[in-house]
Amino acid sequence: MRWGRAFVNEAGAEVLKAWRAPEFLLPTMLMPVAFFTLFAVVVPGSSDSPAYLLATFGVFAVMGPAIFGFGVAVANERERGWLDIKRASPASGGLYIAAKLFATVFFGALSLALIYGVAAFVAGVSLPTGTWFAMMLVHLAGSVPFALIGLTLGFLLSANGAVAVSNIVFLALSALGGLWIPVFVFPIAMQRFATLLPSYHLSELALAIGVGGDRPSGLHAGVIAIMTAVLAALAAFAWKRQRG
Amino acid sequence: MNVQNTDTAAEAVVANGLGKRFGQKKALDDLDLRLGQRGITAILGANGAGKTTFIRCVLGLTRHDTGSISVFGHAPGSAAARSRTGVMLQDADLPHLLTPREHLTLFASYYDRPLGVDQAIATCDLTDFADKRYKKLSGGQKRRTQFALSVIGQPSLLFLDEPTTGLDTDARRTLWQTVRNLADAGTAIVLTTHYLEEADALADRVVVIRDGKVLTDASTQTIRETVGGSLIRCVTTAALNSVSALDGVRSVRTEGRFTELLCHDAPAALRALFAIDPSPQDLTVSKPSLEEAIAGLATVTP
Repeated sequence: MRWGRAFVNEAGAEVLKAWRAPEFLLPTMLMPVAFFTLFAVVVPGSSDSPAYLLATFGVFAVMGPAIFGFGVAVANERERGWLDIKRASPASGGLYIAAKLFATVFFGALSLALIYGVAAFVAGVSLPTGTWFAMMLVHLAGSVPFALIGLTLGFLLSANGAVAVSNIVFLALSALGGLWIPVFVFPIAMQRFATLLPSYHLSELALAIGVGGDRPSGLHAGVIAIMTAVLAALAAFAWKRQRG
Repeated sequence: MNVQNTDTAAEAVVANGLGKRFGQKKALDDLDLRLGQRGITAILGANGAGKTTFIRCVLGLTRHDTGSISVFGHAPGSAAARSRTGVMLQDADLPHLLTPREHLTLFASYYDRPLGVDQAIATCDLTDFADKRYKKLSGGQKRRTQFALSVIGQPSLLFLDEPTTGLDTDARRTLWQTVRNLADAGTAIVLTTHYLEEADALADRVVVIRDGKVLTDASTQTIRETVGGSLIRCVTTAALNSVSALDGVRSVRTEGRFTELLCHDAPAALRALFAIDPSPQDLTVSKPSLEEAIAGLATVTP
């Protein structure tokens, strides 16, 4: 097998499948930009600036496509026996997971394009060019750990179970990670719990870039890198674990 | 390279003392089976006999509990084994939103020496629907697409699990021809089927699995002769062992109050039966079903 060529085909197939079923991904891509527009443009709050909202809602924007678009889809493909054919073929789990991650980043980018467009042209967020790109890069990279969570759930759970569990995970990551309400208004125990969630560290890192303040960006980046590595190992383990 | 040498010498599949349990149920029970590098082997058996479990173990999809399996000298499910194996599974669907051509292009890129995609489309007769989404295909067209995927990598070992279920007669014959051509070109093929006609048309060897064990392992010729016979069914006062010694009788078994004689020469068997029991009750003579033929065969070749 020539890995480069296999990856291009596998990733292309993943993007094509999602592209041809817009009814699955579009809602998860439109909801974050709708909420962002609501809070940043229609009823602008007193404390949170549009830049602050962009940093946190950007994380929200990549999380939906990553967890729902790809996690649940994997459970479906497994239940239909499709993954059995893949696992019996020379294609490896690594190739499959890498292709899913590529497609996640691809659709995460589209989702971000919407929210960044509204931020720049409607909400009046104004940042130095380098800051725009740095923040976008953090958001984009942030879709990887979420996709790995989705894949792990998809490999281990039934299609129905995966829908239910990924909904809970999605809401927990959003609410408890401080994407909707800033973590500092939480009780202290919940603030501690938030530090276990990749959503919290990603939004803090994006805030460090876009808003500044007393935020250790190096620490957050390090924690995200470690969490991503652990989640990747977990997804690879779950791929092997899914046997009859 | 060394690995290459062991590869070419090794048998396609060697399974020794294979055991697999699902809870209380023994799916495989000390099963031994060797498959050479060539030829078509049909695996027959009732639902739940262990056919599919055996294939899944050989593919590395299900882990066996006891015994050993090697595929061309490699562990089942290893990269070396997978690169030489093609598979068409019974209950496996493909992603609905891609076309057969897109599926084939993707699968071709997994192998070192694949068939050309256009060639596979032509050989497996997918031309009419190669660019339609899989979701829109008929059941038979879907099966043909799955078959094309199993052969695109030019595997040395090909598993076909109920390959012609849902195919019409023409499509079935096209698939048989393709399978025969692959076998002639040196591919080892393992086929499970419910159709005796299919085993008869394709296989050199028939393996019957029951209760997770190999019940019968015979050439197709032997099976064919048996099935060519007749089944005499009656209620008789004669002793079982005297009946089994009659002319023309291949095997005997009891089914409730009935005695069943599987015969290769029914007239001779009837004459001999009447000689020892002039008035057997409820006498019928019929063609044995596949199941009856196989059950009879098992007592002939233990």
